[in-house]
Amino acid sequence: MARMKFLCDAERCIECNGCVTACKQEHDIPWGVNRRRVVTINDGVPGERSISVACMHCSDAPCMAVCPVDCFYKTEEGVVLHDKDLCIGCGYCFYACPFGAPQFPQTGAFGVRGKMDKCTFCAGGPEANNSEEEFRKYGRNRLAEGKLPACAEMCSTKALLGGDGDVLADIYRQRVTVRGRGGDVWGWATAYGQPGQAPAQAPAKGGKS
Amino acid sequence: MRRTITRAGVALLASAWLVAAAQSPAVDPKQADLATAQAAQQLSQPLNNQPVWKEVRSGAQQYTSLPGRETSVLIQPEGQTWRAVRNGQASVYGGWLLVVVVLSIAAYYWRRGSIPLSEPPTGRKVRRFTTGERVIHWATAIAFVALAVSGLVILFGKNVLLPLIGYTLFSWLALLAKNLHNFVGPVFVVCTILMFLAFVRDNVWQQGDAEWIRKGGGLLKGEHVPSHRFNFGEKSWFWFGVVFLGIVVGVSGLVLDFPNFEQTRATMQIANIVHLVAAIVFIGLSLGHIYMGTVGVDGALESMRSGYVDETWAKEHHEYWYNDIKAGKIPAGDEAEPPMRHRPA
Repeated sequence: MARMKFLCDAERCIECNGCVTACKQEHDIPWGVNRRRVVTINDGVPGERSISVACMHCSDAPCMAVCPVDCFYKTEEGVVLHDKDLCIGCGYCFYACPFGAPQFPQTGAFGVRGKMDKCTFCAGGPEANNSEEEFRKYGRNRLAEGKLPACAEMCSTKALLGGDGDVLADIYRQRVTVRGRGGDVWGWATAYGQPGQAPAQAPAKGGKS
Repeated sequence: MRRTITRAGVALLASAWLVAAAQSPAVDPKQADLATAQAAQQLSQPLNNQPVWKEVRSGAQQYTSLPGRETSVLIQPEGQTWRAVRNGQASVYGGWLLVVVVLSIAAYYWRRGSIPLSEPPTGRKVRRFTTGERVIHWATAIAFVALAVSGLVILFGKNVLLPLIGYTLFSWLALLAKNLHNFVGPVFVVCTILMFLAFVRDNVWQQGDAEWIRKGGGLLKGEHVPSHRFNFGEKSWFWFGVVFLGIVVGVSGLVLDFPNFEQTRATMQIANIVHLVAAIVFIGLSLGHIYMGTVGVDGALESMRSGYVDETWAKEHHEYWYNDIKAGKIPAGDEAEPPMRHRPA
């Protein structure tokens, strides 16, 4: 069984916020809630990078662990979903999530928050697939239609990838190979570049990257 | 000469202020350093974004075009710590602490039973609590029990009740508990302030408290140590329970109950742990107080219910207070005669 994953290639993200808009449009998301957002690190500095972030559908999901009513569940494809009928709006998932994925329609006095809303990996909720009720609570169930998440499908630079983790890993590996350098996280350029010199391997000119 | 000194002093202060102002830039210095490092990296090692990736888990505010609190934070790693402490040490040790407290009280009751009066009641009543004091006490008590029960449902219900009553029913119960907790919380804070004002006068250190401590309150030997209106045990409950834990639980609770003041997740994570730990200690101590005030001491519940105690009770449990009343040092009270229905049985 495929294990669903998101992967955002920061070398490609141009901070167009198309994924955010696609998500809002696809699921009819109310004002004030953004299931996805784009964060730019070192904005305005040469080498700035943008990353699109939403629910990462963690294997050991903190939201699931702290929910006092146990309203979260995981599908066979590894998508973390929740049942809005059980949710009491306590906000604990919001405290626990490192990615700021859980959102609430309100943040009012006396802890009035409403039902939590978050990215569903376009997989809906516990209701019947693509039923009226499921759409109203969670948005469209694209996975049940055989489609991948709208954000990733709409990404103009194919920075944001969503789908089977094995396939995504292969795509990213291929990109790294073609670029001739790794995600700089691994310190490839740090290891082989020297101050005052050109990088060990320049990005392939005209190549598919 | 004096003016020169004054001038020199002013100049020194001004320069100190300038130095201080120059050292506190508007931008977070750590972040400014990383931005500078990133700019330098692009010159020396183009395409190396190591300084960017160093910031991914920093929890620092970055840039995002989306409005909202903390939307510009990419990863907030402290939530993992909150989860580990809440689900781990805090609830495991906290839960067992409550079980141990309940078992110890049960064991004490089994060994000692209810403490009766050693002499027959006289039938003459002494006023112990005014109507105002009793109203404040019971308002606080009801609020406290509502908060304790709803809080325990939110913390332990998933492990204890959910398997028994199922998802739907438990969700309704938890929703009720959450709203009860959030709306009764501020009422409890107000009650605690009133409680402090009503009882602080008789909870100061008095002669006789030292002896009470030395004899451990006579709890083990079953003797009565003379005390004023409140003995040292009651005073400890007042200062450590009502006042200290009341402030800790109240302030941390209000931080969580009013999330509409732009407080960050980190603030609420800390407030939640502080609230949880203090509340468990508070509940544990309250069980002791409830025990002593109901089945533990014969006549104690009646004193808070009617406001009156029998003279024998007053003499046995609070001898100094009784002597002061007899000597006319403490006014007899606003209610001249106790209600008839509170005659001794």
